[in-house]
Amino acid sequence: MAWNEPGKDKDPWGGRGGGNDGPPDLDEAFKKLQDKLNGMFGGGSGGGSNASNNGSFGAIFAVIALVAVVLYGFFGIYTVDAKERAVVLRLGVFQETMTEGLHWSAPLLTQVFKVNVTGERQYPSKGLMLTQDESIVELPLTVQWNVADVKSYVLNVADPETSLKHATDSALRHVVGSTELEQVLSEGRAKMAAEVKLRLQTYLDNYQAGIQIINVNIQQAQPPEEVRANFDDVIKAKEDETRLKNEAESYSNGVIPEARGRAQRLLEEAEAYKSEVVSRAEGESARFENLLAEYKRAPEVTRKRLYIDAVESVMTKSSKVMVDVSNNSMLYLPLDKMTRSVPATVLEEAADARPAREIEAKPVVRRESR
Amino acid sequence: MSTKSLIAVMSSLILLALISSSAYVVNQYERAVVLQFGALIKSDVTPGLHFKIPFTDRVRKFDGRLQTADMIPASFYTIENKRLVVDSYIKWRIKDVSTYYRTTGGDSRLAEDRLGQRVADGLRNQFGRRTLHDVVSGQRDELMAELKATINETANSLLGIEVIDIRVKRIDFPPEVSQSVFARMAADREKEAREYRAQGKEQSEVIRADADRKKVVLEANAYRDAERLRGEGDAKAAAIYAAAYSKDPEFYAFLRSLNAYTKSFKGKEDLIVVDPKSDFFRYLNDPQGKK
Repeated sequence: MAWNEPGKDKDPWGGRGGGNDGPPDLDEAFKKLQDKLNGMFGGGSGGGSNASNNGSFGAIFAVIALVAVVLYGFFGIYTVDAKERAVVLRLGVFQETMTEGLHWSAPLLTQVFKVNVTGERQYPSKGLMLTQDESIVELPLTVQWNVADVKSYVLNVADPETSLKHATDSALRHVVGSTELEQVLSEGRAKMAAEVKLRLQTYLDNYQAGIQIINVNIQQAQPPEEVRANFDDVIKAKEDETRLKNEAESYSNGVIPEARGRAQRLLEEAEAYKSEVVSRAEGESARFENLLAEYKRAPEVTRKRLYIDAVESVMTKSSKVMVDVSNNSMLYLPLDKMTRSVPATVLEEAADARPAREIEAKPVVRRESR
Repeated sequence: MSTKSLIAVMSSLILLALISSSAYVVNQYERAVVLQFGALIKSDVTPGLHFKIPFTDRVRKFDGRLQTADMIPASFYTIENKRLVVDSYIKWRIKDVSTYYRTTGGDSRLAEDRLGQRVADGLRNQFGRRTLHDVVSGQRDELMAELKATINETANSLLGIEVIDIRVKRIDFPPEVSQSVFARMAADREKEAREYRAQGKEQSEVIRADADRKKVVLEANAYRDAERLRGEGDAKAAAIYAAAYSKDPEFYAFLRSLNAYTKSFKGKEDLIVVDPKSDFFRYLNDPQGKK
């Protein structure tokens, strides 16, 4: 058939030149077509005849019908993507569900609803809600879902996505409302997510929405803005507790070894003293015994010698005033001039005062010079 | 010829118009009624292609899918007279099309308004019989089930509607109550924080005191042991001295005294006033040492 040649059905009215979109002139178009047809089939008079031809009237209708059929067929073609399924209603009645590929369905008589089924969709929700102990908490959550049953999804529920959102809000608040705040904020999240998922699926199955919940993920619950500082302070307080404890531990770790060290030092010093005292005693007694042995041999001489040695060393080291009191005359000794009357403690401590004192204690009387 | 072609086109158009005005399609997701001069002659038309008499019969189609009536948040009072702001939704669908059409004229908004009023009354009832705690936590399911049953008793017969589900989306305190809730929460947290800090101080004090005690005990024990050792040393030394000196106590006293003299007069600042008649100066004036 020459009708199927490309270009034949492009513009049946033979558009009348550049950009003039006026209403097509039927008569003229018919004439043109007729001429063409005549030329093609070799029938009728030669090209360009103006005479009307009754025989070509049927042909014209045929062409129109054909063009209509081709157009009709053309509009019935549609593709279904790999991600999609298409629900087809023929004359209002469910016909079939189409999978991916190229399909044709009769326009006007069928309706095609394409739905993305493999793509996971997400619904993030967030808001303040009440807990069981009548506290307020902010709980963000994400529901991942997809279309499990396309037919139900299209035919059963007016607005499946809104239904999902409503059901999510309701299920989440129900579960949070039966959980204590402490649980919500801490380890109860996984359990709550599982409960929400179950509950949500139950709702949606009840609505026959054809939606499957893949996952419900509850993010970290937040206390409301107004009391967040107080919640943060609790965390800080826990840290403070640990810090205080650690500081005490470190104090303890410092003090006890130090004390042990000092204790050890005391013991060592005592041991040292003991050894020292005993050794000295042994030494001194040995010395005494040796001397005693010699003394026993010549007591008188040894005694004298020892006495004179001792007194000599005393005399050489100290200042002396010789006074002969045999004449019983009064004697005035300017002792205050000789020795400075300063407190004994100062004497002992102020070593730097000694030279001065030496100068002051200029011998008023004869002095033993070395 | 142009008139002929026109007639052909016109007649086909008229034919099309006739077909289109007598044939109608009811989709699977729709419910439809047929009216003749405004009177119901056919209700609950099955899905598919149907024909009617043109111009006299009219088809009304309604959405037969599950509908959502989203309620405006409203205030309800619990048994202890606490106000709650409740946001709920109703899932409904047309059950009996003819009743539905008669009572609402097919206007879904009108239907939802009527339904909403009934649900609001029901909620008011249910909330008014329960405590705040029951409403918030345990009894939502129960409350909703009761409410649904109550609503369905009338909705079916009066509106031709079946209520599939009623759910509370949100139950919130009114703003002024929220503030006091926040205040309570804050107080709770403060209490907790104080507790932690106090516990920290307590533990710290316990640990430090324990350390101090250990320190004191360690040092005291060490002192005790040290003193004992010194005593042992002293005793041993004393024994040694006694053993040696008791061989000749008089001589020991003599020696020790001499030693003490030399030790006690050590420097020039010690002034001795001496009498030349003393034993030491015996030979100073008299080489014979005669007194």
